[in-house]
Amino acid sequence: MINANLKSSYAADERVLNNRYKQAFVYATILGLALFTLFGNDYLILIASQMGILLIAVVGINILTGYTGLVSLGHGAFVAIGAYAVTIFGNLGAGVIPAGLMPFISVPLAVALAAAVGVLVGLPSLRVKGLYLAVATLAANFIVIFLIEEDLFAPWTGGMVGINTNVPNLLGWELDTKREMFGLIAVVGLVSLLAAQNLIRTRIGRAFIAIRDRDYSAEILGISLLRYKLMSFALSAAYCGLAGALFAYFYARILPEQFELALSLNLVAALIIGGMGRTMGPVFGVIIVVMVPEVIKVLFGALAGDSAGAGQLRAPLQQIAFGVLLVLFLLKEPLGINQIVDRILRAANRWPFARG
Amino acid sequence: MGQFVQFAINGLMAGAIYALIAVGIVSVYKATKVVNFAHGYLIMFGAYFYFTFAVIVPGQPWAPAWLASWQPGWMVEMRGELPMFSPVAAVLDWVANLPRILLGLFGALVCNAILGRIIERVLMRPLMGQSIFAMIMVTVGLISILSGAAQLIWTADAASVPYIAPNMPIRFELFGTMIFLFGTDLVNMAVALLLFGGIVAFVKFTKGGIAIRATAEDQSTAYSMGISVPKVFSRAWVLASTTGAIAGAILATRNGISPSLGLFGFSVLAIVLMGGLDSYVGVLIAAMVVGVLEAMTQWKMGGGWAEIVPYVTVLVVLVWRPHGLMGQKEVERI
Repeated sequence: MINANLKSSYAADERVLNNRYKQAFVYATILGLALFTLFGNDYLILIASQMGILLIAVVGINILTGYTGLVSLGHGAFVAIGAYAVTIFGNLGAGVIPAGLMPFISVPLAVALAAAVGVLVGLPSLRVKGLYLAVATLAANFIVIFLIEEDLFAPWTGGMVGINTNVPNLLGWELDTKREMFGLIAVVGLVSLLAAQNLIRTRIGRAFIAIRDRDYSAEILGISLLRYKLMSFALSAAYCGLAGALFAYFYARILPEQFELALSLNLVAALIIGGMGRTMGPVFGVIIVVMVPEVIKVLFGALAGDSAGAGQLRAPLQQIAFGVLLVLFLLKEPLGINQIVDRILRAANRWPFARG
Repeated sequence: MGQFVQFAINGLMAGAIYALIAVGIVSVYKATKVVNFAHGYLIMFGAYFYFTFAVIVPGQPWAPAWLASWQPGWMVEMRGELPMFSPVAAVLDWVANLPRILLGLFGALVCNAILGRIIERVLMRPLMGQSIFAMIMVTVGLISILSGAAQLIWTADAASVPYIAPNMPIRFELFGTMIFLFGTDLVNMAVALLLFGGIVAFVKFTKGGIAIRATAEDQSTAYSMGISVPKVFSRAWVLASTTGAIAGAILATRNGISPSLGLFGFSVLAIVLMGGLDSYVGVLIAAMVVGVLEAMTQWKMGGGWAEIVPYVTVLVVLVWRPHGLMGQKEVERI
């Protein structure tokens, strides 16, 4: 365990993974994910893929809410933009761009589009704060989903009934099984997590944290609120757009209702349950948010079988469990699971001496 | 022109109900500084309680027959002589339903008041003095709990409920066009506006209302002046949930009962922010404006576009006036 960090140069202190335990953790994760991709059971691969997609989006929200302190209840809209943009670009460019190059063009375009809309939605954040911003983003979510469903755009978006998505083709390698897709999701997810960890040690990340702690003080210190708040919005929207692109590639069909308010609330809940403003927070949160409904489903299946009546009970129970979890964490452990893990690690570290 | 007036009147009637819903959010905010994202779901519970006491309970075998449909001798006599679709018949229908309507409203009020109190006690009181973010997110968690619980208790079958007022059609001529209204909509509007006015007067003139305003101004000063702040909190929540019960009963007759009634809370939240969180007058204006704009959008662009009207207007208003039309500007100290 870590009892001290001996650093003999500035370079060592400034590294992204600034101690051996973090490095070991990352290498072990890479190894574990590789083994899991090769040998994991199909059902677990499916669950893990859902977690990976959600994780990327929650990492994005963490940048905005956890590090910059701006509340958003509308990030489901950016996931929707990413998912629809990658599908629409894919359909429009089907004949023009070679299939093997398509993801390399459409995904960056989708991410850029999500970031651009993010800047637009972030504009009120310069004038309104806290609650007002939460409602402004909520409004943006309703508007985006409404526009996707609108008949006017139905030729491109498919309207209410949704649209079939494309299979990603990376330079001739078609990812047409869930296992291959999970490989892609795992790589992208890990890279985006490390990128977020890297971001907060740079000038930009420290500016975000200064804004979170007191925005007027940050402005007095010479941090441009306009620039950094919009940058935070753009970055988090870009992450959500990336998650949306993977979402579209992972599922055979996307529907507008998948990106409604429930998704936005899920993302924020995952962040709160996991722990805001910490790199590992989104990871823990996403595991809980995906696992709890699954566990209820499995338990229910074992107890009541697959009858229609049981199905009618299951969805509300999942919803209630989700709400109770969120409320319990807010009341009892506002810093999330990350805090619990920290406490356990600290106790293990000091064992057999005083805990705390 | 006549068409315009027709839609404007429809809009004002919708706006009055928005105002009634909004008053719950504003009252809770004024007293406790919590913005209740789950208010729409409290209203949904009010609607379901009204449904329970006005439809399910009278339908039980043990319930007396007059509860389900009150048919005294004189009414049967009167009805026999009437032509079809006469206004008097509508009134008689309403009188026959009156016992269960009253039971429904009473049950909804009591149950929602209890629900509001429980929420305040269990969820909100432990968070006193915490960050705004935590409180908002608790109400967000409450959304899931309430909507899940409603689906669990009342399985999601939509059913019709009795109108709370005689539902006779009213026709009159204005600017050369026929204006067509339903009696129940007019009564709903009157009830909503009266309640709104009553609550504003309560907050303005009574002792309890002054305690609420004092708490809103400064909690610790209010405490030291001998005002029981926790009591003010629970009073505000009960006020919000009982107005929510009435609004729920009205919405149940207008839109039918379903868990999606909760979504009204979000458009009303937008209206509240537009008007200014702590200003009753601003909220009333915003509710009426949004109601009319919605009706106009429905007229010109079709029903679908009407649903995003509150959200678009709130974004426009927030960029133009960050604290709403008449909201108090917060002074921030570093």
